[in-house]
Amino acid sequence: MNIDITIRIGGEAGQGIQTVGNLLALVCQEAGLYIMAINDFESRIRGGHSFFQIRICNKPVHAPHHKVHLLVALNQETYDLHRKDLDFDGLVVIDKKEEPVGKNILTVPFGDLAKEAGGKLFLNTVAAGVCLALLGAPPDLCKSILAKQFGRKGADVLEKNYRAVELGYKAVKDVSFKWAFEWKPDTPKGSLIDGSKAVALGALAGDCRLAAFYPMSPATGIMSHLTSFSDRFPLVVEQAEDEIAAVNMIIGAAFAGVRAMTSTSGGGFCLMTEGLGLAGITETPIVIVNAQRPGPATGLPTRTAQGDLQFVIRASQDDFPRFVFAPGTPDEAFEITSWAFHLSEKYQVPSIILIDQYLADSLFVMEKQLTAPVNIDRFIVKDEDIEDPRKYKRFSISHSGVSPRALPCAGKALVVISSDEHSEDGHMSETIDDRISMVDKRNAKVPHMIKEMNSPKAYHGESGILLVGWGSTKGAIKEAVDLLRGEGIDVGCLNFVDLWPLPSEKVKTALNKKERFFVVEQNSTAQFGQLIKEQAGLVHSGAILKYDGRPIYPNEIVEGFKQFER
Amino acid sequence: MVSIKDYESSYKNHWCPGCGNFGILAAMKDALVNLKIHPEQLLIISGIGQAAKTPHFLKCNMFHALHGRALPVATGAKMANHNLNILVNSGDGDCYGEGGNHFMHAIRRNVDLTLLVHNNKIYGLTKGQASPTSDVGMVTPLQPYGVISESFNGTAVALSLGAGFVARGFSGNMDHLSRLIQEGMNHKGFSLIEILQPCVSFNRVNTYDWYKKRVYDLFEENYVPDNLENAMSLARQWGDKIPIGIIYKKEKTAFTDRIEVFNKGPLISQKYDHRRLMRLLSEV
Repeated sequence: MNIDITIRIGGEAGQGIQTVGNLLALVCQEAGLYIMAINDFESRIRGGHSFFQIRICNKPVHAPHHKVHLLVALNQETYDLHRKDLDFDGLVVIDKKEEPVGKNILTVPFGDLAKEAGGKLFLNTVAAGVCLALLGAPPDLCKSILAKQFGRKGADVLEKNYRAVELGYKAVKDVSFKWAFEWKPDTPKGSLIDGSKAVALGALAGDCRLAAFYPMSPATGIMSHLTSFSDRFPLVVEQAEDEIAAVNMIIGAAFAGVRAMTSTSGGGFCLMTEGLGLAGITETPIVIVNAQRPGPATGLPTRTAQGDLQFVIRASQDDFPRFVFAPGTPDEAFEITSWAFHLSEKYQVPSIILIDQYLADSLFVMEKQLTAPVNIDRFIVKDEDIEDPRKYKRFSISHSGVSPRALPCAGKALVVISSDEHSEDGHMSETIDDRISMVDKRNAKVPHMIKEMNSPKAYHGESGILLVGWGSTKGAIKEAVDLLRGEGIDVGCLNFVDLWPLPSEKVKTALNKKERFFVVEQNSTAQFGQLIKEQAGLVHSGAILKYDGRPIYPNEIVEGFKQFER
Repeated sequence: MVSIKDYESSYKNHWCPGCGNFGILAAMKDALVNLKIHPEQLLIISGIGQAAKTPHFLKCNMFHALHGRALPVATGAKMANHNLNILVNSGDGDCYGEGGNHFMHAIRRNVDLTLLVHNNKIYGLTKGQASPTSDVGMVTPLQPYGVISESFNGTAVALSLGAGFVARGFSGNMDHLSRLIQEGMNHKGFSLIEILQPCVSFNRVNTYDWYKKRVYDLFEENYVPDNLENAMSLARQWGDKIPIGIIYKKEKTAFTDRIEVFNKGPLISQKYDHRRLMRLLSEV
């Protein structure tokens, strides 16, 4: 039997919608199901409207679904806003105090049941109980998850949660839900993870020792996770006074010899561009994560976008090399974050990782077991590696553009670095020769950096028509390919992680001899499409763009594609 | 043994003849030799401006950073390796203008470093505009009707933020300044030494003679710098009499001593623990 159910739980910020969602996600994961869940919320602490949407499948799932099978409306607004997304046979569960009209509506007195269980706080657990009962899940499964979650809070809290689940189950015991299924005992298929946590773990696996940041949605989650690890690893997480300080702190730390990172969103990245240039001219390896949200300026703080690509590849004045990556899934986010630290040190350049609110805040079942490198290669020289340490020159000219990197106060070699243009010894210089040789030296790294860049991952890449995307749209694009192929349309896709320097030859190979390709992006001007045109001379036949701040759904890509291919 | 000669740099100096920075540079070298710090044990971090060029003119490890950003770079370096001896050379524009926010927060953190603010009350490198510390009424080509905003008082701001070492020196008194730098570097925690410094090219008001008539030495007065209210009034004293010396001194726990992981040694020396990391990853 094919299980593919979408549940949407909506209400006001502060009602604990995310708690209900997380509980459902944990129960499903424990039962060996796959889930994919998105968090949709406004930039406020209380009130407004937010929802959690979970898609439950018995096959791997990497994108949200546009039709809702079960809508749990904790207030009338949720019902009004989301009824249009209900599947034809979808069911609405709403608190009894509201009086909606329409078919397939079930009233459950969430508030009263919560009070009966022990207080308003237990509304979330009641709601989770209702959902799980409707899905046919065994109540004990939920209780075992609750025991793991609340066991430490004492017997009383746990008992009340159990009671809340039971009351939820009892409230819908006579209701038959069309999409209920048989819950066979199975082992978990992977771990439940969001993109933020994956990036944080990747940073640890990259031996990151200092993370400095200024809080900014949707990037702060990364730092929350890193903070939670900082009691067990040589890692300091420092909240800076602003993003300018954050990026300069990590430059200072990297200069002094540890791997360091920051995370921010577009607006904070704007403030960091000055520091990015400093890392560029001083050849200091740093990693910056930009969790994109719609802009410009404040834009939509809690929503998702892919609008910063063209900005980050050119950010800061003049030319200097940098890496830009955009992982599509949590496991890619883990891998590429760890790898970015390695590449940054190998080439002494900054690396930028582009994620977005959708990847940062959404929950996925990750099947891959994460592993960390056994050793960290630091690409650092000591006195004994240098012929005459007293003559050490931090920016000595080399064929590869990479100069031996010593650390300050680590030996006889003096490390001299200047943000001014400089000579090989690091001192300020305005001579024509030094200027040209330093620009050429920095640029000399680019051909070597390009060799490090991987081809896009292809799915039915042999097809004559390809959808081309980058970053977090990967799951939705692949599902769209499946949907289109299901209709007999021969389509494949390419999903890019390694974006800059763009490996043009690999791009050409992947797109070679194709009839057409279409870019799928979450910005309004097809930024990646433009980049392919500029760097590889290939022009997309059309662009499927979404820039409303919400995640892209597979059906939207299918419909967008059909607009062109009618 | 370390001598002044060890600090001689072959890099050609950029300053104007007679610049107050020469006195500061001489005092720094003298202090470093007296402290028995070798060039390879010293890290100087600076921002942008004539003051921030200082580390080029002596032998040391150095990071000549961006305008206003020396302190966050220094804070990051200190977190990476809290054993580093860090001096920061900054100016009134660099530290109090462009870097004002970082100045405040470095004091709040109490980062263990010594900050030398070369205060010439003018923008020298950009040729003579008013700085945050220019006195009201100072006429410049860009402020032809005179400065209209109040002068920024770095020492008073530092005191109000709880700085544990606040001093004022004068570039025309090398021995006195050397003593302040030594005391500042020996102080565990954030040390501010604001240095009154003439700009022979652009500041026609606050000249050597102007200062020499006004400065008086707090060491000679046997002033004891342990009272915050007294310190605040000295920090605010300006005009006919200007005090130089240690204005306030109080030991407080330094930033890196407040971070537990540093008990296991500097971050840079701690081991990458693959096994522990694999354990964490297997629990995900």
